[in-house]
This record gives sequence, structure tokens and C-alpha cells, in this order.
Amino acid sequence: MIRFCSVRAELVEALTFLREKGRTSTGSVRTVLSAVTLSLFCATPAVAQKAGDARTAPSLADYQPQGVDERGLWMEMAEAERVLKTSDFVIRDPALNAYVNGVLCRTVGADRCRSARVYVVRTPYFNANMAPNGMMQVWSGLLLRTRNEAQLAAVLGHEFAHFEQRHSLKNFRDARAKTDAMAWLSFLPYGVGILAQAGMLGGFFANSREMEREADVIGLGWLTGAGYAAGEAPRIWSQLCDEQDATAAERGRKSKKDKNGGFFATHPNTADRVAYLSTQAAAAPAGASFAGAAEYRAALAPWWPQFVDDQIKLNDFGATEFLLAKLAADGWTPDLLYARGELYRSRGAPGDMAKAAGFYAEAIAGGSTVPEARRGLGLALLKTGDDERGRAALSEYLRAKPDAGDRAMMAMLAGES
Amino acid sequence: MMVGRMLLALVACACVVTGPAQAQEASATKQGFTFPKDGPVRILVFRPEVRVGEQSTAGMNQPNADWTDSARRNIADALDKAQAARANDVQAMPELEGDDGKLLADYRALFRAVTDSVVQHKLFVGNRLPTKKTEFNWTLGPGVARLGQIGGGDYGLFLFTNDSYGSAGRKAAQVVGLLLGAYIPSGVHVGYAGLVDLKTGELVWINADVAMGGDVREVEGATKRVTQLLEDFPQREGAVPVAVTKTAAK
Repeated sequence: MIRFCSVRAELVEALTFLREKGRTSTGSVRTVLSAVTLSLFCATPAVAQKAGDARTAPSLADYQPQGVDERGLWMEMAEAERVLKTSDFVIRDPALNAYVNGVLCRTVGADRCRSARVYVVRTPYFNANMAPNGMMQVWSGLLLRTRNEAQLAAVLGHEFAHFEQRHSLKNFRDARAKTDAMAWLSFLPYGVGILAQAGMLGGFFANSREMEREADVIGLGWLTGAGYAAGEAPRIWSQLCDEQDATAAERGRKSKKDKNGGFFATHPNTADRVAYLSTQAAAAPAGASFAGAAEYRAALAPWWPQFVDDQIKLNDFGATEFLLAKLAADGWTPDLLYARGELYRSRGAPGDMAKAAGFYAEAIAGGSTVPEARRGLGLALLKTGDDERGRAALSEYLRAKPDAGDRAMMAMLAGES
Repeated sequence: MMVGRMLLALVACACVVTGPAQAQEASATKQGFTFPKDGPVRILVFRPEVRVGEQSTAGMNQPNADWTDSARRNIADALDKAQAARANDVQAMPELEGDDGKLLADYRALFRAVTDSVVQHKLFVGNRLPTKKTEFNWTLGPGVARLGQIGGGDYGLFLFTNDSYGSAGRKAAQVVGLLLGAYIPSGVHVGYAGLVDLKTGELVWINADVAMGGDVREVEGATKRVTQLLEDFPQREGAVPVAVTKTAAK
């Protein structure tokens, strides 16, 4: 397909934009236009192809990327996937992968989900994404934060909607067209171009926010269609709001949740999302009520201590304390107590060691099976000056975990060598 | 989102007006390194990193799958011919799965990190580190020998090319820029190649250039590119000596 001259298209776009804004004289634009037309590049057949005629969705089995730009993006993503496949950050545990994949399939349907390749990635931040070619990443920080299967399904559905709607491609095209127009505008004198450029840029970010909203809406539709509790979708975001408040309070800063990033925001602000998702969730069919908290906890159990440890190492005391308290809404389990002990011990402010020792002791009394609870107890007690009990706890740790990687150091602290 | 960040970066440099490219040396070889006089020289070629795209008016790269495919094929063919002419035995490193695949990925990443350091601190003369003013001693460590055993080779050759051909819009902007007195470069053509001794892990040769010639989308252009990438490639012992380095000020 031959698209009419790309240069002219950009100029038309720039020109239209300038007229709309009424911020410049058309004279200077005409100067640029004639200069470009003189350069005769308009005769070059352009290779890009518009995707408006696509009758298929990428989730279909035989879908092939269309046009130069989409095929290019798929190629780039295939290269990225080669790297991801061999990454040490990918969690290859078959059980965990089967669970996450199963939730995705239940949400978007068995046919659609065949086009996705899910990678669980050990990264302690709240995120998931899906590339145009079907490579989906689910970060461990997300798995730590979602409380039940329905919440996980809501995020996976949202990302899948981006994929199905080919948002990456639209984003890329939009970015290319707008930056190109901006490049032309930069030739305009007297700062006129800069003002117009700013408008273009705002347009790009507004489109990006619009796509997020669209993915939210489509994702929620799938969620309720699969029988998941619709109210869990806005809940993820309100949890995130509260966590952002907790981080801000601890650090004495303004919470991120109300910041919409203004002009440069790629996503709607968190409070906004909660509002419109709640409205849509309220209208969901009555049958959609499955939350799956127990199923979720069981699937995550083997990985949970590792994920919480990664979270603690982020050195974000406020958010981690908040997160643990929320997870403990139904009571402090030995695992949560152990995590809280680790959190306080890692901060080590005055009084923290005594508190940490208390949490570890409670965890052990509650039947904690984590050997590291005894290590934490021992180290915290040593810091508070309770040498005898501290050394005893470290010895217990070494008995519970004879092949511990830190055996030499712990044995020395325990006075065994 | 990545595109968002890319966009901000583009805007930050407004319309890409850059100064003249810095002078650099194109290649470096470990002192005194030559291939043995007799016997086979088995070179394992690691899957070349090849990317070809189109540069938009504002400087964004639009990856192009067809161009990249032909470039990948053309470069591989040209490389075979070039090494055959040197009587070296060239093998492609097989695709590896599982733990071996991870090992290979680790060494690719390490090679990249080391190469970046060499380009920065060796080829750009002004940036040389105090302990490496004259030395050329970089290594990936002896663990790389495992890759030599897997693939059956004595040396490992890594290749990287990144091309972004100026679009019609970019070229037009270049012309308008000239009229208005602004310098707008059109096209990106970067490449480097490196040779690793798979017994010791030592990097024995490197060649890098930020402004390479040859249109890799065409057979002829790819041959020219490979010739440039292999400029000053180590010779066999006793062969006509070549200059250790060559200045390629652009």
C-alpha cells in the first residue's frame, strides 16, 4: 500500500493543529511548507500502512502483524522475548505459572488466552504488561499486592485488553506522528513552534490516558463475564492509593495518588480510576461474585516469603508496614509476623530490635515453619543485649537449616566456633 | 510507558541539533595477538545482533522486520565469505535451551558490558583509564570456555549492527535545516565486532564505528559493512603485519 507523502501528512497535521490553536500566523508555516514541497521528497512512496482496515484481533490464532510498523514492533518484541526467556528474573516454577496462566484463561477465555505467553518476573513493584506479540509479564510485586484471584484477574484482563486493542501500535504511531509534526514546528521562529509543540505533546499523553481507560472498561467486562467479583477491580487501585499515602506519610512528602502527572501523565490518576471503575462495577451482573481469596493464598504460599523479603529490601518502611497490616486484616499469621520482624529489624531505629524480637517470638509460638524466623530472633536479641537467648535462637536456626548459606557467620555469632 | 519516556527524551533534545562527531580509534587488538600459523582456526559466531529500521522526521526509530531479515541474511553470508578468504573455519553458535541457553545469554550480556567499557575507555583516547593507558587487557573470564566446548570453537565472534535509515521526512527536515542553518543528521549506522579467546576468555580484538558505510539491506552493501567490521581482524602468525590501530575521525 502506498500512503500519500508522509512529509505532507505531517505538515497537514501541524498546520491543522496551528489553525485550531490560532496561536500563529500561517505565513511562517507556509514558508516551511513551500521549502519542503520544493525538496520533492513527496514523490517517495511511503512504506507505512494504516491499520484502520484490520478486521482481525491479535488474539486470534492465525493473526499476523499487519503493515510495516506493526511487523517491526513484533520483531522488536520477539528479540526482547529471546532475552526475557533466559533471564534469571523469570520465575519458572511450573505450579505458579500454571496458576497465573489459568486465571488469565478463565478471564479472557480459552481461545484468546492461547495468544498470550505469560512470564512471572521477580521484580518487587506493582506492574504487569503485555507486548504487541503476546509476551505478557507479571511482576512479583503485583502478586504480593493483589489479595485474591479476582484482583489478579482484573489486572491480567486490563493488560490483555491493551494487547487485543493493539494499543502499543497506536501509541507508537501517535508518538511518531506527533513528534514528527513537532520537529517541523521547531523550525518556526519566535517561540511560536514551542507553544504548538507543547500542545502536540499534551495530545499524545491524553491519548495514552484514553487507552488506559478503554483497557480498564474492556477488562472489567471480561472480569464479570468470567464470574469474578467486579468490585475487586476498583479495590486494587484504592489499595494502591492507600499504600501511596503510607509511603508519603513515612517520607513526609505529598502522596502520589492525587498527582495526575498533569500534562505528562500516561495513566489516569489513581483516584480517578477508582471512581469510574466503581461506577461500572456497581452495574455488573449479580452472578459475578467469585473473589477466590483462599485459592489465591494457596497458590502464592510457596513464594510469599520470598516476595515479602524483596518488598522489605525496597527500604520503604511506610508502604511495607501498611501492606503487611492490610494483609493481616484477618489476623496476623506466623508468616506475616515473621515479615514484620524482618521489616523492623532491617530499619533498626531505636526500639525496633525489641519489637522485631517480639514479632519473631510470636511467629515461632504460632508455629512458623520459616527457619529464618529463628535467625531473626537471634540477631534481634543479640542487638538488645540478650546474648544468651540470642545465641540459643541462632543455634536453633542452624539446626533447622543445616545447609544455610550464612552458616559460617551465624555459627560464629552463636558461639559455636 | 516506554514510548512516553522516549517521547520526552526526544523533546528534550528539541530537533536533534548535534555537534561534530568525536574522533575515535576504530579498532584495537591485544598486543602481539595472532592466530597460530598452522592448523585450523575455529571461530564460533554468536547470533549477530542486527536491527534495521527507519528514522522518523523527529528521530524515532521505526523497526522494520523485512529490512532486518535481509540484513541478517546478507551479513551472515558476507561473514562466511570473508572468513573463508582468511582460511578460518566459521561456525554459527547453535541455539541453546535451558541452562546452556542461560549461560549463553549471560555471556552475551557480559560481552556487551565489557565492549561498552572498551569502546568508552580504549577507543576514545581521551577517556583512557590510568591503569589501561596502553594495555589492552579485558576478559570475560575463563568460564566462557564452556561455550567453546558446547559450540566447538577456539574463538568467539560477536557482531552488532544498528541501522536507522532516514525517512523521507527526515531527509526533508535535513534540507530545511540546512536552509535555516541547523545541522540535522539523517540516519544512524552503528556497528561493532569483537573476538574472544574461548580458552582464556580474553578479548583479543575489537572494532567499533558510529558511522558505518554499506547498506545492509543489500547484498553488496552488507559485504562492504562486513569488510568494515572486520577491518584489522587478527591475522595468522607470520602474515603481513597490519597496523594495530587506525584512526577513523569522521
